[in-house]
Amino acid sequence: MFCSMIRIRFQGRGGQGAKTAARILGTAAFLEGFTAQDSPLYGAERRGAPVSAFVRLARGPIFERGLIAHPDLVLVADETLLAHQAARVLEGVKDETPVFINSSRPAQELKAEGACPGRFITLDVTGLALARLGKRGVLSAALGAVAARLVGLKEAGVRSAVEQELREVGLSASTIEQNLTLALECFRLVSAAPLTESVPAEAPPTPLWTPQYEAPGRGSARITAPANAPLHETGDWRTFRPVLDPEKCNGCWLCFAYCPDGAIRMDRQDKPVFDYDHCKGCLLCVEECPTHALIVERETAGPRRKETA
Amino acid sequence: MTREMMTGNLAAAWGARLAEVDYIPVFPITPQTEIVEALASWCDGGDLAARFVTLDSEHSMMTAAGAAAAAGARVFTATSSQGLLYAFEVLYTIAGWRVPLVLVNVSRALASPITLEPDHNDVLAARDSGFLQIHAETCQEVLDSVLMAYRIAEDQRVCLPVMVNLDGFYLSFTREPVTKPEPDQVRAFLPPYRPAHLGFKASAPQSLGVAVLGGASYTYFRHQMQLASLNALAAHQDAAADFARLFGRRYDLIEGYRLEDAEDVLVMSNAFATKGRAAVDQARTKGRRVGLLRLRVIRPWPADAIAAALRGRRAVAVLDQNLAPGLGGILFQEVAAVLYHEPARPKALCSFIGGLGGKDISEGEFEAIFAQTAAAGDRRRGIGPVLLYTEGEQHTMQELLAIAGNVEQPSAITPQRSGGDPDRPLSSTGS
Repeated sequence: MFCSMIRIRFQGRGGQGAKTAARILGTAAFLEGFTAQDSPLYGAERRGAPVSAFVRLARGPIFERGLIAHPDLVLVADETLLAHQAARVLEGVKDETPVFINSSRPAQELKAEGACPGRFITLDVTGLALARLGKRGVLSAALGAVAARLVGLKEAGVRSAVEQELREVGLSASTIEQNLTLALECFRLVSAAPLTESVPAEAPPTPLWTPQYEAPGRGSARITAPANAPLHETGDWRTFRPVLDPEKCNGCWLCFAYCPDGAIRMDRQDKPVFDYDHCKGCLLCVEECPTHALIVERETAGPRRKETA
Repeated sequence: MTREMMTGNLAAAWGARLAEVDYIPVFPITPQTEIVEALASWCDGGDLAARFVTLDSEHSMMTAAGAAAAAGARVFTATSSQGLLYAFEVLYTIAGWRVPLVLVNVSRALASPITLEPDHNDVLAARDSGFLQIHAETCQEVLDSVLMAYRIAEDQRVCLPVMVNLDGFYLSFTREPVTKPEPDQVRAFLPPYRPAHLGFKASAPQSLGVAVLGGASYTYFRHQMQLASLNALAAHQDAAADFARLFGRRYDLIEGYRLEDAEDVLVMSNAFATKGRAAVDQARTKGRRVGLLRLRVIRPWPADAIAAALRGRRAVAVLDQNLAPGLGGILFQEVAAVLYHEPARPKALCSFIGGLGGKDISEGEFEAIFAQTAAAGDRRRGIGPVLLYTEGEQHTMQELLAIAGNVEQPSAITPQRSGGDPDRPLSSTGS
């Protein structure tokens, strides 16, 4: 547990449930008598894009708001976010900061790959969700429960919080029950982490910049660079990828027609070729393929294949 | 009383529900939509006996709100940013009808460029509309202020509409513990709406907002609005006393934090004032005798209370989360005007502009504000407007401009750094 205040940051992707996980943690702590504050940060919502949610738990009033730059605990909703440049999941993490990662791989292995700070803890929440719920993707209850365990909250509060927050988002009683079972299983699979409360750092005055007049070409918001959208590699929003089984493909071009991002091109044999730098993993192509020639493969950390042919 | 985790948006909706409003005209806009969604589900489920009506725009929404209030209904509505601006001519019109409705504005910075996060150019644009304005710092204060707003608006000394402001994201989507008053206690605080001068009766028709040419009669009615607005100072204090007695929470026109022995005072409003408190605590650990003054009621402008809180200080810094281009901070001007006639006025007034578009104000920036304010006090000469913007942010901006294709043009103006060596060249531009 903690003395005065701890700051917890959730790192997820739009649609994975980081916001609801933060609410579950906030509610569980509140029910146990702590002052809690939780807030999500997601800008313009986009499924798969990196999002954050912040929770502060305290024994007194909380005089902070908004983003948490120096977290005492970080939860990463899937391991592929570790390599995501813009997500900056480890920002402000110190050597002793516990970092929980939803991954099927051992903590030491991930740690060795990244050469990054933080005490890594892993659990294959997605694997458990697939096994228990038959669903991939939505991890809110499990992630919230893991966080509650790591900060040392009790099971009873977590149970109430999961029920309350999932009811809030309109899930059916049976779905809530399934999620609760998974959440409590995850709760028991991790143990409370030793937390180091960061004390507000001595902040020297920040060097300020005096804005200078620029001609309107640079002084007003406009884009003049042609076709710079490809610079934004939205492929790293993906947690599952579509993969072609060429034997089953009948060359109907339906996947090409349905892809909302133009991330599929057709080759001379009428087979789809995926641009994995920009495929966001919406899996519409998998849904639409009439011959079930597209299968779903889970993304893992590490270098990604760029394109298949 | 029950205590639960609640967003600022939900707290606003609960305020309307506990006030047992009759009529709710709505139009959605981020980050306000959650308020009307909650009210829609309560009306649909029979938890709130109000008429819920979706309109085609904020302009129609505010017209419907004013008309319903004139017909004798207790009215609630909410909007944000561009939506508030779209309703603008109606704000002035219905304030002149003297209809006591409550409008919640969830602050969001104005276009262009377009964004979603908060600053106060939207709500402060409406400062001259005749609406009273209460600006909230916490989710609890949002709920409580909606209840107080009805009480003040419906006070016979006032009869003006009230705008309650909360910051988008920092309050609207942030949950914190909120105590929900009991309906019976709210009824004791806020009696049913029975306006003497409004209401619809077929046998006694009346015409509102009639034309008055010639100036003198127009002036008479405008003077009445000025006096009504000033009366709200006393109405607020009466409502605050009753509120404190019933609910145990006390709200004043302004709020001081560690002011007793403060040499220098930072003036702020809304949710970032919470960060201001932490910054004051932090600065005091380093030996700076600083305090915070939070502006809560902005219309009417509590001039006497502000003067009393700021007289005799070494220096005062106003941190405006708004920008009037070509002038600077809006609230700075109003604070400065209050202090002009004070014999013991502060030695220096400093103006800072920060938190635009929801930009964070870091501990280091607060420290820069306190350091510059103290130095200004010693020099006996104020500074500003200082546009809070860091070297790091400028560096990132240069990279974004390059991606957008807007490469640097040779500039005739010599770059300058504030508080540093003016001869030092521009920091790395990512090239």
